[in-house]
Amino acid sequence: MKDVYILSIESSCDETSMAIVKNGTDIVAFTVLTQMDTHANFGGVVPEIASRMHTENITMVLEETLKKSSIKIEEVDAIAVTYAPGLLGSLLVGVEFAKTLALVYKKPLIAVNHTIGHIYANAIENTLEFPLLALVVSGGHTDLILMKKDYDFEILGSTLDDAVGECYDKVARVLGLKYPGGPNVDKLALEGNDTYNLPKPVKDTTYNFSFSGLKSHIINLVHNETQRGNEIRKSDLAKSFQITVVDELTRKVELALQNNNVKELIIAGGVSANRYLREEIKKVAEKYHVHLSIPKMEYCTDNAAMIGAAAYPLYKQKKFADFDLNPKSQATIVDQ
Amino acid sequence: MYTLYIDTHSDKICLVIFKNDKVLVVNEKETHQHSTTTMPVLIESLKKASIEIEDISEIFVVNGPGSFTGVRLGVTIAKTLAYTLNKPIKTISSLLVKAVSFEHEEINIIEREKNGVFIGTFDESNHLIGEYRYLKNSEYEKSTKDIEDVSIDYEKVCAYLKGQESINPHAVNPLYVKLIEVQK
Repeated sequence: MKDVYILSIESSCDETSMAIVKNGTDIVAFTVLTQMDTHANFGGVVPEIASRMHTENITMVLEETLKKSSIKIEEVDAIAVTYAPGLLGSLLVGVEFAKTLALVYKKPLIAVNHTIGHIYANAIENTLEFPLLALVVSGGHTDLILMKKDYDFEILGSTLDDAVGECYDKVARVLGLKYPGGPNVDKLALEGNDTYNLPKPVKDTTYNFSFSGLKSHIINLVHNETQRGNEIRKSDLAKSFQITVVDELTRKVELALQNNNVKELIIAGGVSANRYLREEIKKVAEKYHVHLSIPKMEYCTDNAAMIGAAAYPLYKQKKFADFDLNPKSQATIVDQ
Repeated sequence: MYTLYIDTHSDKICLVIFKNDKVLVVNEKETHQHSTTTMPVLIESLKKASIEIEDISEIFVVNGPGSFTGVRLGVTIAKTLAYTLNKPIKTISSLLVKAVSFEHEEINIIEREKNGVFIGTFDESNHLIGEYRYLKNSEYEKSTKDIEDVSIDYEKVCAYLKGQESINPHAVNPLYVKLIEVQK
């Protein structure tokens, strides 16, 4: 079969990224331009500034990507772009850019869901083995998903309140850590001991998650200790928080593995870069003798390589988008 | 030669194709959603002109001020076209488009948006005096020199841009003028 090359674009938040991906798995060229340092000045992503920076940088990111590529843009088979979910203004820039490329080079346009992109980060330099169980953990998601084939998503459970990444960011804020909060909590926890007795989430038997109780507890704890003039042992609190969260995630993964016969366990989303989660999930996979796939660090955060990987099954099914493609700030993976 | 002019700074998208500096196609469309409208209108315009995108030899874009999203969209399309087709690109402000469309002495050109107005003062040769300004509706008092409604003369706009230097596509960016909350 002829090789398929897809030029992919990701601009859903504060990274402008492009990639050329061969057959949904091999990375021919890859660029990520992050705006993190700019947004760190404001303590979080400022949507209007993110959109402005995408517009400023987008043609330069293309130039950089093509410089690295052995494939010319004229030779690619399709243009893929993240169309949802994310910051609307940021998505718009990537989507109009992708449409323009599709027009100039007369290529089909493929609209990719960002969350599905995170799942397919596991298809990079790897073959997905179905049925598989996916744990999607990010600033917007905490989902357990069963996949029996490509683009077949059965959501077993989700968070009932805060997403795990959101919870990490709030805890980072009360601990006075800089943006981006999640990775900084992970770093700080390395130096600490689990000395805080935090409430465990209810031991239910659903696949759903709840983190708002834990989050509120920590906010109150920090507030009360500060009021009393007591010092917070920040690294210890980070450690205790991290253990509580990861225990809950792995407990639900174990439950799903017990009840579903899967060949592979994958983790996806920004929080999959968390070192403690990666270690603990490895133990679970070994215990249940399932193949484990965790994306390389560079494919855990927002990137276009995963968008190229997720676009490949859509290319094979000829699911192409029109020039009136409209980005959406919200979309679930079952909207596809 | 064909020139493409893109203006998405307001609720009225306007695409013009010039042939040898004369208007060949004018395609205007009212929209509240630039993202679903602009590319289809561009494709429709090319069809009306019976040309392909690669037949375009020069790109003009209105880079603001106006709707942030609208301007960003037009600028993104224009700079991407210029870069990929390797064709010259020139920008013009939404206020200057009005100023070059008619003969005048020193005037203030007004561009209205929901909560305020953009103002630019131009002399009789269309040189900007001072800087572009943004005033909230409550801060704006109309003066006799202010002109808001101008019927755009696209061939005059084209003639004006012909005399301007082209810009590196990477450096083509919107002109926002209005500050956002975190910049104040």
